[in-house]
Amino acid sequence: MAEEVSRRDFLNRIGVTIGAVGASAGSLVLPSPAHAQAPMPPKGTIPDKPYKTGHMTFFTGPAAVLGEQSYKGHILAAEEINAQGGLLGKRKIETVKADEAAGTDANVKELRRMKLSENIDCFTGVISSGNTPALGPVAEELKCLTVFTDGCTDFLFEKAVPNPHYVFRLTNIQSADGVMAAIAATQAWPKITKIAHIHPDYSYGRNAFDHFNIAMKKLSGNIQVVSEAWPKLGTTEFTAHITKTVSAKPDLLFCSVWGGDYVALYKQALKYDLFKKMKVATTLAFGVAPHALGKDHPEGIVAGVHANYHFMYPGGNKWPLNTQFVKKFYDRWKEYPNFEAEGAYTALYMLKLAIEKANHLAGGWPDDDAIIAMLEGLMYAGPSGYNYIRPDNHQGYKDAITGFAMQSPDYPFPVHDPKRVITVPIRSITAPPGYPKGEPTTTYKWIDETWPRVV
Amino acid sequence: MTELALTSPRVLSSRRVLSGALAVGALAAIPTIASPFQTITICYGLVFAIAALGFNLLLGYTGLLSFGHSAYFGTGAYVVALLVKYLGVASMELFVVAGILGSAAVAALFGVVCVRYTRIFFGILTLALSQVLWSLALKLFWVTGGSDGLRVPTPTLLGGLGGPGADKVEFIAHRYYYYVLILFLVATAGMWVIVNSPFGKALQAIRDNETRAEFVGVQVWKYRWIAFVISGAFTGLAGALWVPLNGLTTPDILYWPFSGRIVFFTVLGGFRTFIGPIVGAIAYNYLETYAVGFTVYWQLVLGIVLVLLVLTMPTGLVGTAMQLVERVRRGR
Repeated sequence: MAEEVSRRDFLNRIGVTIGAVGASAGSLVLPSPAHAQAPMPPKGTIPDKPYKTGHMTFFTGPAAVLGEQSYKGHILAAEEINAQGGLLGKRKIETVKADEAAGTDANVKELRRMKLSENIDCFTGVISSGNTPALGPVAEELKCLTVFTDGCTDFLFEKAVPNPHYVFRLTNIQSADGVMAAIAATQAWPKITKIAHIHPDYSYGRNAFDHFNIAMKKLSGNIQVVSEAWPKLGTTEFTAHITKTVSAKPDLLFCSVWGGDYVALYKQALKYDLFKKMKVATTLAFGVAPHALGKDHPEGIVAGVHANYHFMYPGGNKWPLNTQFVKKFYDRWKEYPNFEAEGAYTALYMLKLAIEKANHLAGGWPDDDAIIAMLEGLMYAGPSGYNYIRPDNHQGYKDAITGFAMQSPDYPFPVHDPKRVITVPIRSITAPPGYPKGEPTTTYKWIDETWPRVV
Repeated sequence: MTELALTSPRVLSSRRVLSGALAVGALAAIPTIASPFQTITICYGLVFAIAALGFNLLLGYTGLLSFGHSAYFGTGAYVVALLVKYLGVASMELFVVAGILGSAAVAALFGVVCVRYTRIFFGILTLALSQVLWSLALKLFWVTGGSDGLRVPTPTLLGGLGGPGADKVEFIAHRYYYYVLILFLVATAGMWVIVNSPFGKALQAIRDNETRAEFVGVQVWKYRWIAFVISGAFTGLAGALWVPLNGLTTPDILYWPFSGRIVFFTVLGGFRTFIGPIVGAIAYNYLETYAVGFTVYWQLVLGIVLVLLVLTMPTGLVGTAMQLVERVRRGR
């Protein structure tokens, strides 16, 4: 029998923090990330052969609003590292890019081509959680060092690659998305009971649905699903799904539609006054490039960022690493970064750090196994905060974040309301190491078995 | 018309036997002379070639343009994946048999509806029915994995004689390549026999003039249906061979663009020759692999190639090559 606690006590207990992000434009000159990470001079002889990375992301289709940012984050990091001479001061990073929109099967072929024909040293990127479970096993077969920067399904390391050696991933796992949306929704609107769902019909949408529901069951108890709509990923026509949702008269719409799909959805939903008729919580409203959303975007909804990163948080001078990253990204690309940009940027810096640590131990250019040993358990302070790669499952973890949309005179697009950003320590919302595996995910089972029910 | 007619002489000339033997010799030598990547790419091409051969029995020999062959390719692949998921089967021979039987059964069922019509009506019906299977694969999430698809681990070949081993790349680029090559040769020989048999000639008679064929006693409906089933079974064999190569199957291979891809293989190579679809499938696979690898505008590249192909080479790569050879010969 699960214990019962009040909602406020429960949210306090798991470490939910709600508060100001600070001024968004800091003026202090602070140490660069490179200095902050204390680089070590390379030991031994380092070859000057370029270090080849293969970066796969969406360059075409509705998901390109995320993909372009992923590529820009990767390139910015590569340019910065190359400006310092390259990895270990010698090996310049070269990037081969590929369009993830080619489809899962073509992506499998392309990864093989990159490794066997282009001889890439490391594979990075990938956005869709339909693709990482396909590409992960292939990367292991190819013995290709891989750092996925999204494609965050729990399924990757629980089922598709249960004992990873070459494959790592940096974004928070998907289950955190649904749980964060549930925490934000119950914190903001404790009395909601009737819930409608609109999710893309693939693993991400299913996962968001499951984890939101189990978290809501614990946080709210008395919930009722009154409508479900499952548009195909890549859909840009949502009228039928919107009218179905509106007619069900829910208190809350929970939605995990993302990319260009979400932009189309919110614009079409405006015509039906959907946002006036119900509360809305999303996992990825702010997942696209910030400028992809307009001034017509509704305020007050839970605007998810994949539980990963929003460029305004940590803001001001609280976390200089972020202030500098946002400035550098803006100076280079004339736009603000999203979580994909931050993930791809951080991935290269974590790889750089692991290579430096491996070199420091053995000298010379480290082999992949040495780099892997350093990546396992690596803690790195990046723009989004502390990133930790768990050695047992090669998954990166960082504290989760979401917020509420508002229009600000400072930006030509909606941003998080600085007074209402919600952060949660990641350990509070994901299953700990060693927890027995379960269905549909280990985190789902862990929440079901260990979270108390609020009263 | 004589130039465009299908060139399938009843007897194999010694020149053809020699060039065929040379081609087989070259294909057999590929794993030893080419890189694993090239071998794997050719392996994909051979698998697609089997599907294109099956497709061309309808288009080239019976005069029916199917726009739904993704259904049979996908059935072959999904039968294998479901055997793995629910019965834990790992034998490649069982995969092949089940893939052929499963796709033949689906083709038999769909064929009953489709072959009553010709031209655009036939095309639309095949397309519509294939999309039924696609939506089932997409929507039955808990059975088919939805858009995530189903993973298929490395199978055992010949009852364990050719076990998977530790290195998957080595497995695909050697043992599995030869396995596919042998089945490709068997399928090609089988198709050659079919199109040169009285049955094959009857199909060509139907293609050229349905009314006349009916008058000389050919049961048009029945012949078309049998051709449809055979075509589906060949495509299903290709699907079953493709899925261990790819490692997983997703609804993408049941979706209509994949049917378009099979049409593309055949048009690229030339549907009026026996070997056209084989050459087209291998060439298309190279084209797509490199187009995706070298530009994000890969769809544009494929589109331009298709337009140029239709405008300048309506007989495909093989047809054009044969015309050129003929022209050189006449010039001499």
